Amino acid sequence: MSDKTEVKDIDRSLHDEKNEEKHRYKAQKGLTPEVIREISREKDEPEWMLEFRLKALKIYQKKEVPTWGADISDLDMDNIITYVRPDADLQSDWDQVPEEIKNTFDALGIPEAEKESLAGVGAQYDSEVVYHNLKEELVEQGVIYMDMENAVKKHEDLVREHFMKLITPNDHKFSALHGAVWSGGSFVYVPAGVDVDIPLQSYFRQNAPGSGQFEHTLIILEEGANAHFIEGCSAPKYSVNNLHAGAVELFVNKGAKLRYSTIENWSRNMYNLNTKRALVEEDGVIEWVSGSFGSKVSMLYPMSILKGARARAEFTGVTFAAEGQYLDTGAQVIHAAPNTTSTVNSRSIAKDGGHAYYRGLLKATDNAHGAKASVSCESLMLDNESKSDTLPIMKLQTDDIDIGHEAKVGRISEEAIFYLMSRGISEEEAKAMIVRGFVEPIASELPLEYAVELNNLINLELEGTIG
Amino acid sequence: MYNKKLVDNLTTGQSKLLSSRRRESYDLYENLTKSDFKRIKLFDYQFPEYSPYNKEYLKEKKWQQELLIKKMTDNLNNEEEIINYLEQFKDKKVEKGNQGLDPKYLAMAEAFYNTGLFIKAPRNVELKVPVEIFYELDQENPVLIDNNLIVAEENSKLTIVIDYRMQDQNLKAFHNGLTRVIVKENAVLNIVKVQRFNDQSDNFDSNISLVSNQGELNWIPIELGAKNSVTNNENTLMDDGSRASISSVYFADGERKMDLGFKMNHQGRHSSSEIESKGVLKDRAQKIFRGDLYFQKGAGQSKGSEREEVLLLDKTVDSDSIPALFSEEDNVEGEHAVSAGQIDEQRLFYLMSRGMTKAEAKQLMVEASFNPIFDKIPLNDLKGSVINDVKTRIRS
Repeated sequence: MSDKTEVKDIDRSLHDEKNEEKHRYKAQKGLTPEVIREISREKDEPEWMLEFRLKALKIYQKKEVPTWGADISDLDMDNIITYVRPDADLQSDWDQVPEEIKNTFDALGIPEAEKESLAGVGAQYDSEVVYHNLKEELVEQGVIYMDMENAVKKHEDLVREHFMKLITPNDHKFSALHGAVWSGGSFVYVPAGVDVDIPLQSYFRQNAPGSGQFEHTLIILEEGANAHFIEGCSAPKYSVNNLHAGAVELFVNKGAKLRYSTIENWSRNMYNLNTKRALVEEDGVIEWVSGSFGSKVSMLYPMSILKGARARAEFTGVTFAAEGQYLDTGAQVIHAAPNTTSTVNSRSIAKDGGHAYYRGLLKATDNAHGAKASVSCESLMLDNESKSDTLPIMKLQTDDIDIGHEAKVGRISEEAIFYLMSRGISEEEAKAMIVRGFVEPIASELPLEYAVELNNLINLELEGTIG
Repeated sequence: MYNKKLVDNLTTGQSKLLSSRRRESYDLYENLTKSDFKRIKLFDYQFPEYSPYNKEYLKEKKWQQELLIKKMTDNLNNEEEIINYLEQFKDKKVEKGNQGLDPKYLAMAEAFYNTGLFIKAPRNVELKVPVEIFYELDQENPVLIDNNLIVAEENSKLTIVIDYRMQDQNLKAFHNGLTRVIVKENAVLNIVKVQRFNDQSDNFDSNISLVSNQGELNWIPIELGAKNSVTNNENTLMDDGSRASISSVYFADGERKMDLGFKMNHQGRHSSSEIESKGVLKDRAQKIFRGDLYFQKGAGQSKGSEREEVLLLDKTVDSDSIPALFSEEDNVEGEHAVSAGQIDEQRLFYLMSRGMTKAEAKQLMVEASFNPIFDKIPLNDLKGSVINDVKTRIRS
């Protein structure tokens, strides 16, 4: 009998640091049209946005909470304060950011990251962006990168044309909720032919007990544009269940290429019910890189709609479910045009009673002739307290396609360990090497700063504890 | 229709314990709601009027001396034995397990069955020739509700072929069946099921098995017919070294809709399972393939694999695949693979360059895919006619 690999939890004190709460304004608990009006008034929004919010609220009140997937019955929607505004105005100069907020960001490494290579920082503190900067050359090229609140006012037409057109309040209860109470988030517009060669990063976190975070990310890439957007999440731990119901809408026009990277590392009491969708036109490319580590419950299925001929989608994801976590994630790809291609590569690890669930969808509509798709899911179980499930659904409505799917579940191969040991490597190191190798395809897709965070997470979870 | 009065009629002349099981099932049936099978959209589906099935369905052969074979509808003197076997299915070690394709359809079959066999291979009995069962639907017998129980006792070996068929192309027939199987220690049981109903008829079939220590169960389901066909095949590998395999072939053309469910519940250590499915879709046919590999806690060192290959011959087909892998054990090996697409153009071109027409080349390639499974049909006549059926339908 072989020994089991023991993997302990990492010390989360760094990310779970919290500040004393200080707010100018706190919305009333519960959701009423009055609350929505107040939110809108506070933000000084155009009338159409208020109307949109009220309409979404109506849909929200009618929709049922989904019964499949995760158990979210613990979530007390009436007690979630949906809007919390931090005690800081928008700053363009780092020195003016309040000390307390700075400390948290320092702990998360944001200013350093900016100094190194980042084009702009939109760090969302609670529900609003407190710090924003964008390199001047990008501004000259016509790139817009700002918080959503300002974008609604300053680029009203652009926002109105795209806002919640891809994810509508009718999709599900949490998208309706999002439509009603969204707050904060980023707006990116890249004009035709512009290549943003440094990644745009937004690092945000939740901070108030019981507060929801409903940030909206809207990215529009015009014809032939190229950009990389990085989203990272980290939140301190509180006793009240936290809800995150953000929305990410990505418009990739003809020949444009967008890479969207995420590392979600929410605290382990968070309900992460995020919706992400990309619409890809002719010859466009969307690349998702997704790491899910935190939260109590995650239900996250980024969707790529390949609308134009020869559009392409790639999804690379890693999910790490530890004690008390139920992470239900997966990629959705809709092939809705000829000769579109997609590749989905998912790795999941379950340990200490964690439950990792891959739930994916691959659909080819009747005009998707010549489509090619491949899906590969691998799951690694580190002990038999944990659970690992795979459910990739395929719907094909045409004949001229080439679809391949593979999935595997298992534990670390004893033959591989034996082989490495015969080469003089200790058993512990051999196991750690294999697990690192398992997530390598994902780690190598991330930019340096994020690869560091991912590596820290994985190494701490594995290396320090095996043996 | 399917009411208390009908149950009373059916229990007249039937032995006591089986009669009371019918009544229990009826109570269940009454309180359940039918599934819509929403993927193939059977909304508000109505069962056709009940009608008895009066034809002989068991081929008389000398193996009847070695086996115990009884009709479930008769007045049986060994019913206690049957009930004891059936009780084993009550212990559901799997949440929502042993429900067949739908609880209501299952209860319906158990309350209103008009045919069905109890077949038992006693200990150490090895049968070289297969048991042949033919359910043939016709104008006089348009409704088939069969309730079968097949038991392979320790060290026995047995092959059973059940052929569901009909000649009449205009008849609107109905089948709702239930086959329960118990495979004991070291026994080997092979079950071939061929379904060739016409494109007016509806087919529902639930198959549930329990496989003991080192027992082996091999299913060969061949689905070629019916307008709507919903089938389910669920196997529980209860003990050390239990083995089960499913080698499935389906061919759907015209407006046919098929919903095929295959499930392996691994409970015992070192248990192993294999699901292999090969299919062809043509015209406006629709199929749903569901394959579940479930490794329950305690099923250490088990292996399961699942493979689906589907050939799509027309633009208008609709093919859903839902392969699932659920694991509560780390020390298992589970994998599944699906491939879907057209016939490989290059191979087609090669065959055509050798003088074949496109239709002939396609047919040859479908045969090449199906034949390894057809070869598992132990009756040459049946095998020949199945191959012929597929041939003519690919060409049309």
